[in-house]
Amino acid sequence: MSAVIRLLLRRLGISVIVLIGVSMLIFAIARVIPGDPARIALGPNAKAEQIASLRAQMHLDESLPVQYGHFLADLSRGDLGISLYTNRPVTKDIAQFLPATLELVFCAGIIMIMLGLPLGILAARYRGRWPDHLIRVLSLVTVSAPGFVWAVILMLLFAFYLPLFPIAGRLNDSFDIARVTGFLTIDTLLAGDFAAFTDALHHLVLPAIALSLSGIGQAARLTRANMVETYNKPYIEMAQAYGFFPSRIARIYAFKPSLIPSLTIIGLDFAAMLGNAFLVEAVFAWPGLSRYGVAVILRKDLNAIMGTVLIIAITFLIVNIIVDLLIAFLNPRIRHSARGSA
Amino acid sequence: MTSLLDIQNLKLNFKTVQGQVEVLHGIDININAGEKVALVGESGSGKSVTARIILGLLQELRQARISGEVYFDGRDINTMKPKDCAKLRGTAMSMIFQDPTSSLNPVITIGQQFTEVLRRRNNKLAQAICDEQATRMLNDVAIPDAQRVLNAYPFQLSGGMNQRVMIAMALANRPKLLLADEPGTALDVSVQAQTLTLMRELVNDYQTAVLLISHNLGVVREFADRVYVIYQGRIVEDGPTSALFANPKHAYTQALMNAVPRIVGTGLAKVPEVSDAFLAPRITHSDVT
Ligand SMILES: Nc1ncnc2c1ncn2[C@@H]1O[C@H](COP(=O)(O)OP(=O)(O)OP(=O)(O)O)[C@@H](O)[C@H]1O
Ligand SMILES: [Mg+2]
Repeated sequence: MSAVIRLLLRRLGISVIVLIGVSMLIFAIARVIPGDPARIALGPNAKAEQIASLRAQMHLDESLPVQYGHFLADLSRGDLGISLYTNRPVTKDIAQFLPATLELVFCAGIIMIMLGLPLGILAARYRGRWPDHLIRVLSLVTVSAPGFVWAVILMLLFAFYLPLFPIAGRLNDSFDIARVTGFLTIDTLLAGDFAAFTDALHHLVLPAIALSLSGIGQAARLTRANMVETYNKPYIEMAQAYGFFPSRIARIYAFKPSLIPSLTIIGLDFAAMLGNAFLVEAVFAWPGLSRYGVAVILRKDLNAIMGTVLIIAITFLIVNIIVDLLIAFLNPRIRHSARGSA
Repeated sequence: MTSLLDIQNLKLNFKTVQGQVEVLHGIDININAGEKVALVGESGSGKSVTARIILGLLQELRQARISGEVYFDGRDINTMKPKDCAKLRGTAMSMIFQDPTSSLNPVITIGQQFTEVLRRRNNKLAQAICDEQATRMLNDVAIPDAQRVLNAYPFQLSGGMNQRVMIAMALANRPKLLLADEPGTALDVSVQAQTLTLMRELVNDYQTAVLLISHNLGVVREFADRVYVIYQGRIVEDGPTSALFANPKHAYTQALMNAVPRIVGTGLAKVPEVSDAFLAPRITHSDVT
């Protein structure tokens, strides 16, 4: 297992470097775009000295490197500053809005994996026959439109014309759930309110499906492609020559080796959902990080922009590390690399 | 005496983009229980497809048209339901491949693969019994530290070690017929010779019939009781090994023997003329050895 720990440490080190790079970049970009944040925050009627004092308080008069230094010093204390938009600490804002987005993205990711991989396995097992063709067409259709287009289509079909699902929001107003994790599906269960849990799930269905659809198609196609290649390997012929069941050969003997090259890309797809979630959230009025993010960007709320971008970058990096660990776990060559050939 | 494997007038066509190609033009092969038979011929002559027909694998390929009879243990593989045929694989017959390391699944331990093979005969076999049987089989192929091998992945073992594992797996369920398609030609020559000797001793012990597919006449001469020479999808000569080697009658067999390949694999002589007359006479040596 020491090989895995070494891998983890290396990835964490790289992640820190990436985060510093991202923070510098966003720090600079946010300050270069035109507009005075203090003036925007204080409104058109603010007096000149009010604006000047806010600028001084925000260190806006100093040079960029000095400002960045202030930012790092605050960050080391876990302080991302005050949002000029909400007048609250940015960390509080993120803690409030991030869980809604993460809940949506996690659900979409789970749907993508639970449907995409089995469809890919099925297509590979029946390659060249009708299930394969059917799955190919379905995948093409889902991949052909981005998440927010699916969001509009699904909303029209299943919330508007056929009102099977709620049209917007995360939870019916009639429920009052104590906030623990911010994940409503978890908090409702913690509160023991099963009706609220069902309602939260009900709200989650359409946005999560909309967000996951193109990922499902992509995961299915990728899995199929890698598996079809694996099917030409001698060890598959050997499994067939020993009379193993075709479904077992598909699920284990062909799928397991094919999963390793697929995982990296599936991980990237998963992380990309975070970006797509912004638009899907907008369509479904999902009270996640997207509304907050868009609002703070329009107001040039520097601290809030930094906070939002950093938290998204961190989520991205965490997903990548998880994928790398999974690959190491699945690939015995990496797991045992301490013992020889890599 | 009824034979274990009786192939009669076996023909194989492939549907390709250019149309039909006939790959086997009606071959007959006969193997008695416990008999060691070799099938020799140059690359592309149809040796591997024959093995895959015996296993019933090629029958499942849609491009393949197969006619003729392949009686195994009195039942015709060609007319059998795919499910019934699959029941024979891994139990009554099994196969050893050319490259042991790439024939074992790279992400599954040897132990798990061995268990799966043993459960072909009895799918309720407890893990402990599987491990015990696998250990015994590995000891039989001269692997003393069986536990380490069972916990290993194929890439952690040498080619020769993997070949022993393949032999142990192939014989674990005491099949009646073992198909060995150029076993171990991917290995270096001395390791190949070692593992072949091992295989021969085991099949002698277990009374397993073998169809050995090979390019290497040296190997064939040492291993087989009887030899079939295949040339472009036809059996051109067959007979007891000693008789055939003593007096090869067919021009192709003679060419084969004059060009005994030093390096395993290719390097067979091209026969000058290819005509129907050349292919027509099938020479069968009498069984007097
Ligand atoms: N799936 C297939 N589709 C079309 N043609 C095929 C297919 N499989 C095999 N063939 C053809 O059948 C012929 C016999 O192939 P086979 O693999 O049995 O040769 P072989 O005698 O085993 O040769 P080698 O010594 O190289 O392994 C070859 O000409 C090959 O091109
Ligand atoms: Mg071959």
